[in-house]
Amino acid sequence: MEVQYEIQGGDFSTAGQASSEIKKLLKQFNIDPQIVRRIAIALFEAEVNVVAHAYKGIMKADIEPESIRVIVEDEGPGIEDIEKAMEEGFSTASEAVRQMGFGAGMGLPNIKKNVDEMILTSVPGRGTCLKMKVLF
Amino acid sequence: MKQYTYTHAIQIDADKCIGCSHCMRVCPTEAIRIDGGHARIQSVRCVDCGECFRVCPQRAIYVKDDGLASVKSSGYRIALVPSIFIGQFPSDYSATQILEAVRQIGFDDVFEVEQAVDMVKSEYRLLENEIDQRPAITSFCPAVVRLIQVLYPSLTDQIIRLKAPHDIAALYLRKSKERQGIRPSEIYIYYITPCAAKIVAARDPVAEKESPIDGTIDMKMIYNLVSKIIREDKNSGLHKSYANMSPDSVCWSLSGTEKKYFSGRSLAIDGMNNVIEFLDKLESGQLAHIDFLEMRACDQGCAGGILCPCNRFLAVERLEQRQKKLEKLKLQNEGKVTNMLFEFSEELHRELQIDAVEPREGLQLDEDIGKAIQKMKHIKKLMTFLPGFDCGACGAPSCRALAEDIAQDRANISYCVFVQRVMEKNYKLSPEQSFSVIEKIWGQNRLNKYTDENES
Repeated sequence: MEVQYEIQGGDFSTAGQASSEIKKLLKQFNIDPQIVRRIAIALFEAEVNVVAHAYKGIMKADIEPESIRVIVEDEGPGIEDIEKAMEEGFSTASEAVRQMGFGAGMGLPNIKKNVDEMILTSVPGRGTCLKMKVLF
Repeated sequence: MKQYTYTHAIQIDADKCIGCSHCMRVCPTEAIRIDGGHARIQSVRCVDCGECFRVCPQRAIYVKDDGLASVKSSGYRIALVPSIFIGQFPSDYSATQILEAVRQIGFDDVFEVEQAVDMVKSEYRLLENEIDQRPAITSFCPAVVRLIQVLYPSLTDQIIRLKAPHDIAALYLRKSKERQGIRPSEIYIYYITPCAAKIVAARDPVAEKESPIDGTIDMKMIYNLVSKIIREDKNSGLHKSYANMSPDSVCWSLSGTEKKYFSGRSLAIDGMNNVIEFLDKLESGQLAHIDFLEMRACDQGCAGGILCPCNRFLAVERLEQRQKKLEKLKLQNEGKVTNMLFEFSEELHRELQIDAVEPREGLQLDEDIGKAIQKMKHIKKLMTFLPGFDCGACGAPSCRALAEDIAQDRANISYCVFVQRVMEKNYKLSPEQSFSVIEKIWGQNRLNKYTDENES
């Protein structure tokens, strides 16, 4: 079952809506609540990344009986050094974004911690694509 | 998550219910549907919060307590009275007067629940460094605990595994009376309840094998009887045994006192909608670095309980006054408070833990994920042609809820009045058929008030 939601870059006030919708769907399935929680946290972090860094993005989820796969794709500046971006505490977020309580450099490491598979690719100047998979 | 049967205190009187759907629209867990002209509550989803009770214009929703009739005619009978009951009366009546009046109704002893709060405070001091699942959520409000079980299953293990003050008070009473030589089998404890959820907590506790409370009595009933007694008897004076607690304990059931006893970032949230909004954000991972959540399903905490006869804001002010009085007493006693519960602190400490709170299966579409996904696909398809007005004419609280009911074979697409019009236009449904659909939901004789002559 596929669903997809748009994410608006820069709109911090509504950040979290896409991930929250997917979480709501998962709650209606017989999945360990703690797994749902992990997915919710990972998706929220991914959504905030789009809001904080990109112009716009899309979150696509494919739910199957054994797993969920989610692709978060954005149009934005992309990531210059993916290895560095994965380090805890590293962030390129602007001061304004940090002031809002985001950009602590924990987003990507936190996603990695909460999902079973994660593939991050990026074309600097074009955008970023994050693929995640969580087994039920 | 297995199928259990759940006990509820919130009941619907089918003779009074006209199926007006006011309750259906306010139920926070979407547990109510209109069927056959009456509101019906889905047991697995109901958390006994009482939001439906507040809005019922027919007074058809009632709270089933054990009642005064359940009080034994012999034995040692103790009334367990929450401080909020004292807050129902003007401040010129003393707590002693009010509690003594409760005793006169037919009890051998009266005990104020909040005296157990000092025990909770000391447990929090011991617990707070051990809890790593943050934020810890208080187990105080049974409606919040049940709400989390139904709507936020991933948060159940964040509920603090500690008994609520009324249970602790009851445990203490059993121990202390036994020490006084009363046979355990002769001790009966009755809780004067400000809400429906506490009745359910006493009858069918979550994460506890049994409740130490023998019966529950609707606060309104006791309020009426006490009002009559204290009008006639103006005998005031202070009874020391009603002041053996730290002063702010009397405000524990309101909003904002409990949170002060958990260090770190602590928030107090009251009112069902506020609790839901907050838990939703918490579950989505949108909130971090919070240590403690004090949550009360009712606005203004227990002062807003559905069985409290008096205005909630007045009750809050009176308890604040009472706190000040107790502070003065404490000063007179060189700043000391002798709480009798601590005589049993070690024994009580061993028995205060509750088991882990388990989620309920209320939201699940199907045990089998594959089947649930098929149902979800069906729901999504239905949502593309339901109008999205949430008018409630189908007997479900929202278009989404109707779509779920259809996917679960509990309703039919023709229940939607907008879809009905289209079906009639396309000759898929005769006017007689759509008429009988409406009668099935809203009851027979519901549509016969209007005749063509009415308008002319």
